[in-house]
Amino acid sequence: MKFLKMCILCGVISAGMLLPSVALSEDKYGVGGDDYIVENGAPDLLGDESEWENEKEPAGIYDPLEPLNRAFFEFNDKLYFWVLKPVKQGYTYVVPEDIRVSVGNFFYNLAAPVNLTNTLLQGRFEDSGVVFKRFVINSTLGIFGFGDVAAVDFDLKPERGDFGETLGVYGIGEGIYLCWPLFGPSNVRDSVGIVGDMQLHPYSYLEFDSAAQSFARGSEFINRLSITPDVYEDIKKISLDPYVATRQAYIDYRRNLILSHE
Amino acid sequence: MNTKSSIRCAVLVVLVSFLPIQVMAAKGPMEELRPTLSMLTSVLADPELKGDERKVERRAKIMASIKQGFNFTEMCQRILGSTWHDISPQQRIQFTELMTKLLENVYIGKLENYSGQTIGYVNERIKGERAQVSTLVEDNGLEIPVHYIMALENEKWMVYDINIEGVSLVRNYMQQFKSILRTEKFEGLVKVLEEKNRSFETGTN
Repeated sequence: MKFLKMCILCGVISAGMLLPSVALSEDKYGVGGDDYIVENGAPDLLGDESEWENEKEPAGIYDPLEPLNRAFFEFNDKLYFWVLKPVKQGYTYVVPEDIRVSVGNFFYNLAAPVNLTNTLLQGRFEDSGVVFKRFVINSTLGIFGFGDVAAVDFDLKPERGDFGETLGVYGIGEGIYLCWPLFGPSNVRDSVGIVGDMQLHPYSYLEFDSAAQSFARGSEFINRLSITPDVYEDIKKISLDPYVATRQAYIDYRRNLILSHE
Repeated sequence: MNTKSSIRCAVLVVLVSFLPIQVMAAKGPMEELRPTLSMLTSVLADPELKGDERKVERRAKIMASIKQGFNFTEMCQRILGSTWHDISPQQRIQFTELMTKLLENVYIGKLENYSGQTIGYVNERIKGERAQVSTLVEDNGLEIPVHYIMALENEKWMVYDINIEGVSLVRNYMQQFKSILRTEKFEGLVKVLEEKNRSFETGTN
């Protein structure tokens, strides 16, 4: 009997110690159980555990042109180290950073029709509004889009939308993986997207000839390289097979982007 | 049954029903991750540990704080997939050591560039024995979503994967190793890893 009493006493004490923690988890998790989310908003990256067990990918990457893609990947690697990187370094040396950032703003502002059309097509009306407001504010107060007054004074952060993404949101499959010379990692859907976006870009209806377009796009590209981190060099450094690492990262990034806009 | 014993019964029932909760993780995944990351950032921001002459000590401290909250064995097991079951326990240890060294080589330099970026904790999501803690790293007015994927290990939530904008560290290495394993088997992978680690030591990378 004494033993039982002791047991109960111990039980009551430990129950008393447990109670606050139980109450806390109730507060925090809302409902109990094994599966719960504290707050919605972030994508579910956990997937299904069984995925890991039998190693079946949710969807693999179809890359039947791998040998050709690898050849172009090698070409781009050489292009980067022998041409783009020295050009970028020279440009960075000659042009101060604030001017390069302004030039970047200008090119982003110029692409507003692309971003506006695609955010609209994807049904991201709030984002379309942001793109439109940013375009009006930055083209006027920001003087032809060189300044980003919209982000600084109106807290309107840049939004983007491309046609490959739009097609993805509409449920069109990505097709085979492609690594283009010059353009780099892509797939059939995103390649179609690039062509579509070119039609939406002011260059096409300002009737720039192909030489002028190439020059404008080339300048935009070098300028962007000079103000963004060296992603390619990083990938090369951290991976054992840079081709596979780039392919996986590109596809995962695009899938995640489309999933978050569906 | 008298009142006394029915009270005892009630108490017992209450106790038993509380037991499973106690067995589950003592702390939630976010609660577990927070001290690991704040310890890491405080080591990274420590002015006394800056400079080349403190490199060895600094890197040891960085790794020690990471190892508190990261489960490298789990990470390696997931990176290798089914190959993990085919290799011997010694090979598993060897692979885990090589891989940990590689991650250290690859990311420690990146971490050392830390310049006071803040980490915002967004939410946590639990599915059985796995969890996801979503954070936002603020860098120069840019918010980068970083998700930590965790698994329950001895009643403690430990990180085994990092996911940035949909790109998973484990999946990326897993895919890279797959093709190496297919053509050169486990021994070949070990060789490639050793070579890669050597390239960091000799500074060719």
